Amino acid sequence: MRESILSVGIDIGTSTTQLVFSSILIENIASQFSVPRIEVKEKRVIYRSPIYFTPLIDQETIDGQKIREIIEAEYKKAGFSPEEVSTGAVIITGETARKENASLVLESLSGLAGEFVVATAGPDLESIIAGKGAGTERFSRDEECTAVNLDIGGGTTNIAVFKNGQVIDTACLDIGGRLIRLAKDNSGIEYIAPKVKRLTERMSIDIRKGERLTVGKAEIICKEMTKALEEVLGLRPKSELLEMMLTGKDLKRNYSIDYVTFSGGVADFIYNSTDNNVFRFNDIGILLGKAISQSDITRRLKMKKLNETIRATVVGAGAHTVEISGSTITYTKNCFPLKNIPILKVHNEPEDIESLAENIRSIIELYNLQSGGQQMALALKGVKNPKYSQLVAIAESIVRGIGEYLKTQEYLIVVVENDIAKALGQTLYQMLHREKDVVSIDGISVGNGDYIDIGKPLGDGRVVPVVIKTLIFNF
Amino acid sequence: MISEMELKKIIEQVISEMGVSASKTELKSDADNCCTVEGSSKDVDEDIQDITTIDLKKQILVTQPENLQGLLKMKENTPARIGVWRAGPRYKTETMLRFRADHAAAQDAVFTDVSEEIIKKMNLFSVKTKCTDKDQYLTRPDLGRILDDEAVEILKTKCIKSPKVQIYVSDGLSSTAIEANAPEILPVIIQGLKSSGVTVGTPFFLKYGRVPAMDHVSEVLEAEVTCVLIGERPGLVTAESMSAYIAYKAKVGMPEAKRNVVSNIHKGGTPAVEAGAHIVDLIKLMLEKKASGLDLKA
Repeated sequence: MRESILSVGIDIGTSTTQLVFSSILIENIASQFSVPRIEVKEKRVIYRSPIYFTPLIDQETIDGQKIREIIEAEYKKAGFSPEEVSTGAVIITGETARKENASLVLESLSGLAGEFVVATAGPDLESIIAGKGAGTERFSRDEECTAVNLDIGGGTTNIAVFKNGQVIDTACLDIGGRLIRLAKDNSGIEYIAPKVKRLTERMSIDIRKGERLTVGKAEIICKEMTKALEEVLGLRPKSELLEMMLTGKDLKRNYSIDYVTFSGGVADFIYNSTDNNVFRFNDIGILLGKAISQSDITRRLKMKKLNETIRATVVGAGAHTVEISGSTITYTKNCFPLKNIPILKVHNEPEDIESLAENIRSIIELYNLQSGGQQMALALKGVKNPKYSQLVAIAESIVRGIGEYLKTQEYLIVVVENDIAKALGQTLYQMLHREKDVVSIDGISVGNGDYIDIGKPLGDGRVVPVVIKTLIFNF
Repeated sequence: MISEMELKKIIEQVISEMGVSASKTELKSDADNCCTVEGSSKDVDEDIQDITTIDLKKQILVTQPENLQGLLKMKENTPARIGVWRAGPRYKTETMLRFRADHAAAQDAVFTDVSEEIIKKMNLFSVKTKCTDKDQYLTRPDLGRILDDEAVEILKTKCIKSPKVQIYVSDGLSSTAIEANAPEILPVIIQGLKSSGVTVGTPFFLKYGRVPAMDHVSEVLEAEVTCVLIGERPGLVTAESMSAYIAYKAKVGMPEAKRNVVSNIHKGGTPAVEAGAHIVDLIKLMLEKKASGLDLKA
């Protein structure tokens, strides 16, 4: 069995909007004589759009109509129709995500971007997606090292640290190439981001809208921004500067970094810094790149140039957001796609089945207070190679734990890590007298606060594509 | 035939004959030579560690490996005995002993019988093929394919006639595999089928059974689908691997291509309960398509 699915990635960033199509090949790698095991064999980007400037109506509003036109045109150029697309992600990243009409823009795109396409934002997830798209995740796995990727775009710098292919840390800073924007031919400053305004005030540098920006001043500002990056990477003691520039949590810095990689629009000017026509994009991106290339970040850390720079996020969204569930799963009704299902993770030691029901009970009660009982998915680790009695005990605990709250749920959705979902799903369905539809999938590791999207079954109905949306990243 | 226990005794004896002090230094220097990754071994039992409890994938015998993580990663990907430090005609003692211990476990799996207690626990009664003992079973495959007359009588009186699905358990070439997996998988399959409204025949245990004995069982009980859970020929990686062979309207002498097999059911392969759930779906598909084996594919 070989099957190839089409995935779309759309990234609407602070400065640029891009689209890629990638083909994901899945294959049953088990022999004819065993229980099937379907895995992703290959991911290939098959179409890349040109890089567009993100159309804005004004500084606070994205031009949804124009974005729609861009995407429609790109579908045509690539020769795909939305119905052919089975998975993917639309991401509104960086500063743009904080624009007022971001969710409205996503809505206007939802029909266009295939049936099972997730719309997502959140700085931690962006960092991870960029790091995967840039190739840093893979590099850290292949080289068995700790590598940090800095995705420096127009509005933000998204940092993800990977160790042997696993994400171990993320952070996001308000540092980017288009936080100061200039009118054509540097005839005057058009826009200064609020954080940069505060930064310059702190430095007693006076820049104002409408006035010309000198290269000298821009260089000093970029150097200060770079200092914040040096601080976050532990190359310089932490100061108030870093506190100010972080959008959320800081890096933990309790590991040593072997390599640094760069992606995002500014990356190209770190790898190839230039003094030539530095305001040609009417922003400070080229100078920021130059400041970083002359900083301790590239001097004291080993720098590695990987495949994707400016397209890292969109490639990550298109090719690296989707996972495949385990190959032995249960769904008693083809109710897919299921979108934006919140995860309730039961923190239970696998051996401790006795208290499982109680734990499920308490998290569900809490959840219902907050959400009013909308559809959720229960996540647990499960037991490796369980005995039948253990399996029954787990199923009983789930049924008992959920109790009357089951009425509020359209389906009973269970997500387990260990390979037991098919047997667990069957057992649950029997216990519920086949009156409640059950979706039980495995091979998926999720955390509390994640959201999950489950797509239409693939591979003769044996697996489902899954996208996990980590909004709050816990390690 | 030397069982695992006996082998252990022999090793204990040999080491004690070498003198207690010698054995201690021997063991100690061995321990110095190999770095064992945490969690890979259990407590030392009376000075001698049960070497079969060591997880081979985590055991490093190479002294001062250049890249420990890299070696571990390679070992994680194969059950083969790689990175044993000395290859060729002179393995390290530990490698050699472990090889023999695993070989002994494989032989035990073939030569021991499935314990009566476990058969009783599964609520099964026991019948046998035309073989009279293990030696005959191993040397006369033809006899292992036919039920003896007594078995035919018992099945006719004790079992539901013409069930949709007949499931039974057979020792095959590994009793260990049956003891490890059958009690976990049987209830999953039976419950799964029953809850889908499929009548399941009376399960039983067949001693000295080979796979084609299911054809005879199918004819005697006139089952629509017959499924045997049978021990696989053990190897050095695991002696606990079980298979399920399943056929639609099996007949004596039918081609092998009419059988489906789900193999590699053990804790390192497909977990028993999960395989059971898969088998439920497979049997339901057979009933729906009225076919099995290659005919099911077409």
